[in-house]
Amino acid sequence: MSLLKIENLRIELTTRDGIAPVIDDLSLELGAGETLSFVGESGCGKSMTALGIMGLLPDKIGRIASGTILFDGEDLTQASDARLREIRGNDISMIFQEPMTSLNPVYTIGEQIAEVLRRHQNLSTAAAWAKAIDLLDAVRIPNPKARVNDYPHQMSGGQRQRVMIAIALACEPKILIADEPTTALDVTVQAQIFDLLRDLGRQTGTAIILITHDMGAVAEMAERMIVMYAGRKAEDGPVDQIIEHPRHPYTKGLISCVPHLMASLSNDRPELVEVPGIVPSLKSFGRDECLFASRCDRADEKCRTQRPPEMSFENNQNSACWQAGDL
Amino acid sequence: MREETNNSAELLNVENLTVRFPVKRGGFLSRKAYLYAVDDISFSIKRGETLAIVGESGSGKTTAALAVARLVNAFKGKVQLGEHNFLELQDEALRKARAKVQFIFQDPYASLNPRLRAEAIVREPLDSLGIASPQEQQVRVNELFKSVGLRPEQQRLFPHQFSGGQRQRIGIARALSTQPELIICDEPVSALDVAVQAQILNLLRRLQSEMGLTYLFISHDLGVVQHMCDSVAVMYMGKIVEHASRKDLFNNPLHPYTSALLSAVPSVDKKRRAETKRILIPGDPPDPIDPPKGCRFANRCPVARSICKEKEPPLRALSSTHKVACHLVDEKAKSPLL
Repeated sequence: MSLLKIENLRIELTTRDGIAPVIDDLSLELGAGETLSFVGESGCGKSMTALGIMGLLPDKIGRIASGTILFDGEDLTQASDARLREIRGNDISMIFQEPMTSLNPVYTIGEQIAEVLRRHQNLSTAAAWAKAIDLLDAVRIPNPKARVNDYPHQMSGGQRQRVMIAIALACEPKILIADEPTTALDVTVQAQIFDLLRDLGRQTGTAIILITHDMGAVAEMAERMIVMYAGRKAEDGPVDQIIEHPRHPYTKGLISCVPHLMASLSNDRPELVEVPGIVPSLKSFGRDECLFASRCDRADEKCRTQRPPEMSFENNQNSACWQAGDL
Repeated sequence: MREETNNSAELLNVENLTVRFPVKRGGFLSRKAYLYAVDDISFSIKRGETLAIVGESGSGKTTAALAVARLVNAFKGKVQLGEHNFLELQDEALRKARAKVQFIFQDPYASLNPRLRAEAIVREPLDSLGIASPQEQQVRVNELFKSVGLRPEQQRLFPHQFSGGQRQRIGIARALSTQPELIICDEPVSALDVAVQAQILNLLRRLQSEMGLTYLFISHDLGVVQHMCDSVAVMYMGKIVEHASRKDLFNNPLHPYTSALLSAVPSVDKKRRAETKRILIPGDPPDPIDPPKGCRFANRCPVARSICKEKEPPLRALSSTHKVACHLVDEKAKSPLL
């Protein structure tokens, strides 16, 4: 049985223009120790999926309209707030993009790590403190015995993100959701954080959901990926296969619109492939059409009038494009 | 070691540029301390080409660019732009020369005045530098909107009515309005969504070839730099550690920091991932207020020797297109990591 199984999830947001499905019929499975990546531009529903799993959708505005989120067999969409609080931080935890704003500036990092351990694992103050030092060591903060007394402002951005990871991992969660964990960090620090996440995943069997817009990071970190567009799954499957042969024009655009460092430096630099336009506004989410059609150079009448179904290929790649077979 | 400083093909020649900021250190009766954000750097750009400055946050790349444009004061150094020593110009001469250097900023949400219509934003540099009559200005604004790919009727809109990519186009039109020779692009695409980045990068390259523009391109994204530049300067803690042509830098990085930086970039290319050995640099850069006396990278360098901690390595030219500041690189231009 997979650790996390989402079926036909629909998340609706109430906006000024009415109700918009920001997640529209999403299904996925995640096994223990696996790394799955969500890719797409801002506003495509990557973070909304994460918040939905965590039970942290914006109050009164967002709600799970239909579908199930099975975690270890338990449906999180039916769980009480108290039960969700128990799961959050204990079984499923999350790290965010901004290590600068996710920590409380008036408590030492030791206090912030120990708080999680006292609340969720009922450790004594002394035991929680000792474990906080161990955790700082595990995320490779040098001299953890001294640094445990530091305040967030005394640390660099990379160190703060490592503290966030220490907090997220304090209770040895089964799933770690990392929402753009390295976007605010330098590339050498990003490499350190990725190494850390990979090692921890291997050692503890924690499954990782990595949300990012960087195809390079996906290739480096994940086994499978889901490309999201306008609240829907555009394509999913094994990372290597999708990068080699994308079966959705949006995936293809996302890969080739970015200049990548390749094994050999090319002398001629052709224009980058442009994906014209921008992600449609929430108003058009949920329409019975391919929402990417307005930006797609292959779109025809069918694309503009009927939502494409998911087409499956032998290598476990799935694409929601009418022309997936010809791509 | 031959310097080609008086080459007329060079538009910008920066020598020994130093920028320092006073910092408060210690308590009562403390001595005045300075942070050298940019410490004695020299570089040049040929007319019509792009020099990229790369480095991580805090390395001094933005401060260097601001000093070149005189948006912060340099403590020392020379910025030769065409026939002017830009740092010595005063008053009216400075105002005139400023038209020749324009800036494109990172954040298109913060760099446009929300109360001005798009046309007024683009026209503003012309007004404040007193260039052209109102009629001529309007003609130029029309042309600029067209060349950056905006529609004429969009001139009357306010910044909030544009998307991020469109705002960056307005920022580019504004920078082009004074017909500058040098455009400093400070992380021009890092605030944009990936799909929009390509549109802006293509536009910048097209404008460069159409108008013969010279770019000083600041970025931390080495993939983007590789696509945009003709040559690269790598900065670490206020110093240029390597300055080379695009080909030399990406094919034969010599400074261990450059190698570490390149090896840290995640790639979609399977072959590159298999071939690249990750060079881990542990820890963080040292305290910039009190930098170590030898090589500033020595405490994180995987191959540092005792000389590296004793003596600061000068930036040496190994060929006309490759300079590096590392004791361990010999005349054969072989990376000390190999």
